[in-house]
Amino acid sequence: MASLLSYTRLVLAGFLLMGCGMESDNSTRIVIWHQMRPDEREVLQRQLNRYALQHPSVHIVEIYKETEELRSGYVIASVSGQGPDLVYGPSDPVGVYAVTETIRPLEGLFPPTFLGEFDSSAFTFFRGHLYQIADKVGNHLALVYNKKYVQKPPESDDELLALGRQLLTRYGVRAGKPAVYPLTWNYTEPFFFIPFLTGFGGWVFREDGVTPNLDTPAMVEALNFIRDVRDKHKIVPGEADYEIADALFKEGRAAMIINGDWSWAGYLQRGLNIGVAPLPKINRTGLWCAPMTSPKGYSMNINVPESKVPLVLDLMRFLLSEENQLESVRLLMTAPTRTSLYSHPDVTSNEILNNSLLQIQRGKPMPAVPEMRAIWDAMRPGYQAVMGGSLSPEEAARQMQELALRKIRDMKE
Amino acid sequence: MEKKRLLITFFLAPSFVVLAGVVLYPFVYNVVLSFGNMNLTTIRDWDLIGFRQYVKIFTEPSQPDFYAVFWKTIVWTVVNVFFHVVLGVFLALLLNQRLRGRSMYRTILILPWAIPQYIVALTWRGMFNYEYGSLNIILNKYLGLPAVEWLKSPTEAFLACILTNVWLGFPFMMVIALGAMQSIPHELYEAASIDGARWWHRIRLITLPLIRPIMVPAITLGTIWTFNNLNIVWLVSNAGEPADNTHILVSFVYKAAFNFYGYSYAAALSMVIFVILLLFSLAFLRTTRATETAL
Amino acid sequence: MNHQRLSRTLATSTTHVLLVLFALFAVFPIWQIVNISLRPGDQLLTSSLELIPSNATLENYHRLFTETEFLRWIGNSAFVAFAVTVTGVVLASTAGYGFSRFRFAGRNVGLLTLLTTQMFPATMLLLPMYIMLISLGLINTFLGVIIVYSATALPFCIWTMKGYYDTIPVSLEEAARIDGCGRVQAFYRIILPLAAPALVITALFSFMTAWSEYIVAAQILQDSQLWTLPLGLKSFEASMSTQWGLYGSASLIVMVPVIILFLALSRWLVSGLTLGSVKG
Repeated sequence: MASLLSYTRLVLAGFLLMGCGMESDNSTRIVIWHQMRPDEREVLQRQLNRYALQHPSVHIVEIYKETEELRSGYVIASVSGQGPDLVYGPSDPVGVYAVTETIRPLEGLFPPTFLGEFDSSAFTFFRGHLYQIADKVGNHLALVYNKKYVQKPPESDDELLALGRQLLTRYGVRAGKPAVYPLTWNYTEPFFFIPFLTGFGGWVFREDGVTPNLDTPAMVEALNFIRDVRDKHKIVPGEADYEIADALFKEGRAAMIINGDWSWAGYLQRGLNIGVAPLPKINRTGLWCAPMTSPKGYSMNINVPESKVPLVLDLMRFLLSEENQLESVRLLMTAPTRTSLYSHPDVTSNEILNNSLLQIQRGKPMPAVPEMRAIWDAMRPGYQAVMGGSLSPEEAARQMQELALRKIRDMKE
Repeated sequence: MEKKRLLITFFLAPSFVVLAGVVLYPFVYNVVLSFGNMNLTTIRDWDLIGFRQYVKIFTEPSQPDFYAVFWKTIVWTVVNVFFHVVLGVFLALLLNQRLRGRSMYRTILILPWAIPQYIVALTWRGMFNYEYGSLNIILNKYLGLPAVEWLKSPTEAFLACILTNVWLGFPFMMVIALGAMQSIPHELYEAASIDGARWWHRIRLITLPLIRPIMVPAITLGTIWTFNNLNIVWLVSNAGEPADNTHILVSFVYKAAFNFYGYSYAAALSMVIFVILLLFSLAFLRTTRATETAL
Repeated sequence: MNHQRLSRTLATSTTHVLLVLFALFAVFPIWQIVNISLRPGDQLLTSSLELIPSNATLENYHRLFTETEFLRWIGNSAFVAFAVTVTGVVLASTAGYGFSRFRFAGRNVGLLTLLTTQMFPATMLLLPMYIMLISLGLINTFLGVIIVYSATALPFCIWTMKGYYDTIPVSLEEAARIDGCGRVQAFYRIILPLAAPALVITALFSFMTAWSEYIVAAQILQDSQLWTLPLGLKSFEASMSTQWGLYGSASLIVMVPVIILFLALSRWLVSGLTLGSVKG
């Protein structure tokens, strides 16, 4: 009997806490869902604190969700009539959000003078409507090098291979493997392969931006190139994985790594003397390796009631303001989206940021259409089969294309 | 009679009310969904279209192939449960005697159950790395065997997932077996000793049969959970690598639903999984007669 | 005499050797996580073979307690896990008894239905559960999580209790009833103590369900003030910039209450309280 009593007490306590959990007044509480990394989160919190001081009647809540979960969780929540007021993330789910009618078009909500202050890369359009305004552009890969081993980063693929050979001879072998790998990166993941596809002149979509275009000579050449880098020139480890590449670089066992802007601060913190350079160009085609770039910005939930929209817009304007973007630039080394900041001394004087901006210029925007998902999943098996040696590049390219078409068809069924 | 009914209600009702609420509605929802066409474009206004999703599952070729994945899932389940139970019972037998340091061994051996799965799965994945992973280092340096390319080839990758899951799962069976062994009266062992039975006789004729009533539900549920265990396969193989070859049915469902928004397709696939498990349980329980009462 | 002594020593030594081997097997990956927590910066893997990193530091632990809401998460998880454990033990011990001792229409179906609740892939139940919980007003509440966890853990617990009760002869209760005990009293005084090991399993299992479950908690608990440990740990995760240092140290600390609970309960798990001692 004693246990029954304590149980009942607990249930009652639970009911009381139930009250604690719910919000009292919808109109003065704004919720943001995001997938920001810890350092980005800190900056966001500082900015929100400043906003709260100026607007004491507004209570803002920011909630972190991991990228994949944010995408699926947001759709589920919004379709059920719930969800946050603002959702922040990269541009690739925007197409999905738009198709599921979970976000609302923004073009009518801001005056043209405001929109004119931004570079076009800040805007993500889908089927003619503006759905997301970004405060940062990034997510791009670049060549990060440890200045202890590399003083002048290679500017072409031939230079890269030559440098690799030099490093291998200079540092030799230890316990059966190179003491210092010239290059390491997560080469089994399609996202990390894209720059080489573009370097050989290929791209994932045709002109219309929605039809896959994976079965091309450029694809075959790029696949051959990566395979040769590993098997013929042996400048990368036999097995690739994000974590092991990261570990090798952090421990000084790799001279160069291809990694995205989210990782550079971590390397600096670790005490490594790094430099960031744009990815090299492919001599045969004369094209620069162009990674995908993605703006990261805010979209508004379609469920936000009309009466609340002005409050949410005010917050958006604040978060996208010049002052706040400059703060991000200074603290996070992110690339801003306001044209006025491109010539700001804080931007031009930072070597890493300069190179980052250069890489972004040479990069290609990540498509925001839902079909992109199918492309990634279609590329992965074929790509990994080629690297595993069980498929020829020509056959893989054909299979990728077939698979992409099938998955897109499935999505639309 | 009335009093008996009241007693039954008193004992059983609370559990069923809670279960019905939490499980019934989602289940029914899924059944309905599986007969529909909900996907990305129809997420707000999907219709019922009959058995089409089921036909699709069984007839349309998919990448990876449904039947291959199905077979893999069976292998995955059988191998895992086998090792979980054998190791669990074996360790319980070792621990069920007067032994110095027994408590310490017990505690160390449940650590795999206690540690959060995400980080440990990824740690295991790291141990399978060809050049730097601990497993190959042990194989190569200390045992003189050739290093294995664990994560690059389908069979080895699958083995890697199995090894990780066995490590994670044996403590649970060990605790159950230990608990089950307590229900066996000492006198039975004493009587058997007097009759001249050796230790393996005692295990085979007394321990194993008598822990059955408690092991059978654990094995049944263990099988069901292992069959549906998405996490380990997903994390250790990095979502199916190499080349989508390391999938079990449930990771296949996950990809369909959450990566491609094929909610109805995923719902139908879940129903298929459900029916498979239901048939298995019915068959297993019938042969072990586990639903009988003590009366 | 010596021969017996020798074979017993051999048996004991072999047992120890085997247990040590398995203990090493169990501990090895966990040791790696200790290393992760001691490494400065966020690094999951390493190419070095050191047993303890040469640049080991306790900084991650320090940051865990001072810069994150870790203590709050522990508090939330402890509350939820405790409630689920109590609920699980109370409901399973009674329901299991009902299934073990009574014959009634729908009994077998009931038992099977319990099992079937486990057969559905959890990911599929998310969307409808979310909708249902919203309409009940249980989103973002501890009550919602407690209810769902209890429902998740109950089938196994009921089956285990039933199985254990099945090994206790009915004659024991009948003898007590003849002596004047009521049915319910017989349950409390005699049956429950004998079923202690099963109660321990039920308690442990319910606790672990609530303590380490992520998916349901992520759906229900939206406010970061309400986060349980798995949600908190997830916030250290990012697809390519996980804060491994914090994650590793948090994972190790998360294990501690489980170990404490296990140590506290294992007294009853290997109680030695068997039928023989009671009959006398």
